[in-house]
Amino acid sequence: MTGSSVFALVMRRFAVAIPLLLIISFAVFSLVHIAPGDPVRSLLGAHASDPVTLAAIRERYHLNDPFLVQYGKWLTQVAQGDLGVSIQGNRAVTSIIADRLGVTIFLSLMSTVLVLGLGVLLGAVAAFHRGTSIDRAVVTFGVLGVSSPAFVTGLFLLYVFGALLQWFPIFGPGTGFLDRAWHLTLPALALALSVMAIVVKITRAAMIEELDRDYVIFARARGLSSPRIAFAYVLRNALIPVVTAAGLIVVGIVAGAIYVEVTFSLPGLGALTVDAVQNRDIPTIQGATLVFSVFVVLVNLTIDVIYTLIDPRVRFGRVES
Amino acid sequence: MSGGQTRPLLNVEGLSISHGVVPIATSLNMVVERGQTIAIVGESGSGKSLTARAIAGILPRGISATGDVVLDGISLMRLAESELRKIRGFRVSMVMQDPFTMLNPLMRSGDHIDEMLRGRPEFASRASRAAEVKRRLAEVGIADEDIARRMPFQLSGGMCQRIALAAALARDPELLIADEPSTALDVTTQAEIITLLRRVQRERHMSLILITHNLRLAFSICQRIYVLYAGSLLEVGDAAAVERQPFHPYTLGLLLSEPPAEVRVTRLVSIRGSVPRAADVVDSCGFADRCDWAKQICHAGKPPMAPRNASRFTACIRQDEIQGELDALRTAALSAAPITPRRGETEGELVRVDALVKTFVGRRGYPIRAVKDVSLRIMPGESVGLVGESGSGKTTIGRCLVGLETPTAGDICIDGIPAADFGAMAKADRARVRRTIQMVFQDPYSTLNPRHRVGQALEEALGASGSPVTPERVAALLIDVGLSAAYATRRPSSLSGGERQRVAIARALAVKPRILVCDEPVSALDVSVQAQVLNLFKRLQAEHGLSYLFITHDLAVIRQIAERIYVLYRGEIVEEGPTERVIGTPQHPYTRRLIESTPRSASQCTT
Amino acid sequence: MSSPASGETRGTKLPWRIPIVILIAALILTVVVVCAVLGDKVSPDSPFLQRLRIGDTPPSATHIAGTDLLGRDILSRVIYGARTALVGPVVVAAGAFAMATLLGLVSGYLGGLVDSAIMRWVDFMFALPGTLVAIVVVGVLGGGYWTAVVVLIVLFTGPDTRIVRSAVLEQRPLPYIDAARTLGISKTRILFIHILPNVLTIILAYVVLDFAFALVNLAGLSFLGLGVEPGAPDWGRMVFENRNILFSNPVALLLPAAMIMLTAVSMNLIGDCLFERLAK
Repeated sequence: MTGSSVFALVMRRFAVAIPLLLIISFAVFSLVHIAPGDPVRSLLGAHASDPVTLAAIRERYHLNDPFLVQYGKWLTQVAQGDLGVSIQGNRAVTSIIADRLGVTIFLSLMSTVLVLGLGVLLGAVAAFHRGTSIDRAVVTFGVLGVSSPAFVTGLFLLYVFGALLQWFPIFGPGTGFLDRAWHLTLPALALALSVMAIVVKITRAAMIEELDRDYVIFARARGLSSPRIAFAYVLRNALIPVVTAAGLIVVGIVAGAIYVEVTFSLPGLGALTVDAVQNRDIPTIQGATLVFSVFVVLVNLTIDVIYTLIDPRVRFGRVES
Repeated sequence: MSGGQTRPLLNVEGLSISHGVVPIATSLNMVVERGQTIAIVGESGSGKSLTARAIAGILPRGISATGDVVLDGISLMRLAESELRKIRGFRVSMVMQDPFTMLNPLMRSGDHIDEMLRGRPEFASRASRAAEVKRRLAEVGIADEDIARRMPFQLSGGMCQRIALAAALARDPELLIADEPSTALDVTTQAEIITLLRRVQRERHMSLILITHNLRLAFSICQRIYVLYAGSLLEVGDAAAVERQPFHPYTLGLLLSEPPAEVRVTRLVSIRGSVPRAADVVDSCGFADRCDWAKQICHAGKPPMAPRNASRFTACIRQDEIQGELDALRTAALSAAPITPRRGETEGELVRVDALVKTFVGRRGYPIRAVKDVSLRIMPGESVGLVGESGSGKTTIGRCLVGLETPTAGDICIDGIPAADFGAMAKADRARVRRTIQMVFQDPYSTLNPRHRVGQALEEALGASGSPVTPERVAALLIDVGLSAAYATRRPSSLSGGERQRVAIARALAVKPRILVCDEPVSALDVSVQAQVLNLFKRLQAEHGLSYLFITHDLAVIRQIAERIYVLYRGEIVEEGPTERVIGTPQHPYTRRLIESTPRSASQCTT
Repeated sequence: MSSPASGETRGTKLPWRIPIVILIAALILTVVVVCAVLGDKVSPDSPFLQRLRIGDTPPSATHIAGTDLLGRDILSRVIYGARTALVGPVVVAAGAFAMATLLGLVSGYLGGLVDSAIMRWVDFMFALPGTLVAIVVVGVLGGGYWTAVVVLIVLFTGPDTRIVRSAVLEQRPLPYIDAARTLGISKTRILFIHILPNVLTIILAYVVLDFAFALVNLAGLSFLGLGVEPGAPDWGRMVFENRNILFSNPVALLLPAAMIMLTAVSMNLIGDCLFERLAK
């Protein structure tokens, strides 16, 4: 597989992502205009509304220009890092987001590690012990996880481990690495549980399918050792469907993070978005949504590229006879 | 070949396999001497594959086995998994049916052999293993060492099968079990792989158990035959002896059902009915319901295997009474039919194809030229065969004729109407062509809509042709293909493969076509059912004056049904002519190779 | 092509009994449905009556689940909440799949440009973080429960179309479709009389799963204060409103949360079971 064809592949995936980002940015931009009422109000909030202020707002946000021109100017501003000003408190949206980003990233990373590590492990264990009580327990756990939204799990965890047992704090992000990890344990766990269930389900299903495959039977007939079969044959092949589902996982974590941050009162990007939505703070909504969406699109792009690299059938293409 | 002094390599005693409480195979006894080749011959549902897996010690979950499998004195059924793993691969190994799914798609082909060599001290270094891999690839006929670096999906079926064989033999086992090793391959590749298997077996003085449904293949390369039917053994004996004189009606029926390639017979002897499940025939002779010689005694209990002489066994209780009749049937059935006189050129052609070309766009935009330049003619009432292997373009041609594909270039004329582009035809013309030519497809299990009853499918076909849709007409269609009118209310899932194919034929006949395009219509059926359906095709032709374009890879089938054949290779016609002439004296090298690849009888085996 | 061994076990299916878990799930769902339909007849009290003087109280004899900040009986509110917990998700699942079936049939069978166009749109929907979109759109548009339902229908249609399309693609190359085409049967008839009945069963299993997912999403939106209007007895909304009384009356919070989970779990169990049975 030549280096240049890898590059070509990546470029092709990129080419797909760009229009996607443009469409998303366009949709985000239009939020101002689809909100009921005068766009000026959306950008002004509850502040005083004398004609001078209104005109100034119109000027600043180019509301007098045609729609597409407004979009163009807004996009240029965004590219330069200006996401507008929050109507609550007049701070630049960019700096508010920068403040909040740390908590969300920490939380997401903690959850991802749990989801991937524990999820794949449980799925594999269940598949190898298919039909036994271990398998049934894991499957039930999976169903429970999928059915419990992150805020429900979060609440129960918060009540039992935070309020009753008082092992963990029930709000706030903590300061310093260890303190933060301790504060974020319950939220990360709540978040991980709902998404982990999907990974467990997919891994288990993928591995069960692999275990029945002819090449596994042939490997057993040849007398290869169980560990070799487990890793080189079953796991390697089963991970491909898991990787393709990684997009789902990312989306799940983003969604879950929002709920978990609200439940545990964490000052993260998700809580900011919800807060902005509840207060009709359009510029902040726009900024936060844009950041989330760009993140999701970039992660999906990376996963796509990784998948192309690890599945040789996609890399090598047609069959030579 | 049975040694009295040395103990046999493998001794299977009273092996019974079941799926929970449902029996799959009962009381199997087998003996394999060192260096001997035996065949386990059976159709689907016989339990042969699971028997193979029981011997290899790798039964699937939920399937259990009792009895004993003794390898060189060691009782395999009593061993723990860790002990068994020292036997698998080292003393007993297995090769399976589908070469494409047998290899790990994420591993290079050479690595399949390489991984078997690790653990042995003389192959500790990578270089020494690479050299050994090269040597073993050469043993299975792969000279190009570059192949070792390729991934399985980059290789052809034949290559994959060779690699799999090399991997299975990498630890030099004494016994190899080959489960239908050539069934998924082309006829010519089949012959190569079978020859390879024989050579390897002889060179290594290895014992071989061949699992197959093809009796002739078994005769051509194996010394002893075990005939398995619905979970029990019906006959055991030396190959040449069994072929000359079968001691069981089923063996005879199987032998005669497989269309002989050497001669065209008047009527194929078929076995009525279909293969029962082992669970349904626990207390009687499994074959009794389909047997023309069955009496009360055959249903009184399962007849045991009884010896007839030193090396032959049969489970037919009435064998000594009916042997004479069996022999007479065999002689009569294999006598050649009179050569049908060539039809004079009385009327115009029914189907005319001129310079047909069909190119597909493959993945990544590479063009695949399935059909390069094909011209053919079919006269009314004529039965024409189109013979080719996979990739020859034969299916594509058939599909172009009925409008499922549109040719890239060339002309098709059906009953005088230009029919190359169905989309561009006038509605009336298209309707007329559709009433002239219809198709019968290969897979009986997906040729009918699973959600529609048989009657519904036939009514829809009748409606499509504009004929009146009445229960009487539906019943008439069913009776015409040998089914009773009661079948109209049944669903496809309750029908056997042969029955489904008959319904499919009835559906095609509903519009009263003049020609049927039959794309491998019997290759997915059990051998004993194949003959039934082929006989049906012959009868329908005689009764309705139908023409056929019979598309298949099987020369033996073609010989029985087509008067004239075209041989197709890689999208081009390489030979054509009357069937007898082409098969008797082939001109083109490919035709010759095709004919040589068809398995012959045991008398041609040179062991 | 499946291995011969599987052909030999064909026809030896072991008898199948309904697992206990499914029976429990069905029981839970029946209770919820009864609450939704017969709300006022089953609840001990009015869910709207405010008793500001007593405020929030823990479980007692008169109020089995206690009262919330405004003195409303929790148990009654939970019983009434069954309505919004069932109606919305049913509409979402049915609506999304109705549209997805149409789009999937057309896209899968016709192929070509139509298919490309529809799949581009589906891919786009897939790339969006759905929950985020739902929150933002519902929040910005204002509107309530039914806005949320419509937004979810649009969001779910994408992935559902993909599912229907794959099911259609599985059927399309099969010989019985070829036979219908050879007979000259019209495309519409093939789509609706031949293909649709064969994909309907798998769609059904997914509809059930979709319902559970819609339930969770709608409850989530209410939990954030979006969707249902304030004061309505909706489970998600109750979690939102009662967060502050975690210590004085945890039941007010945990009971509706548990109901969300139990209903979703039951639906998922049934959906998974259907899926396993039908995908054989």
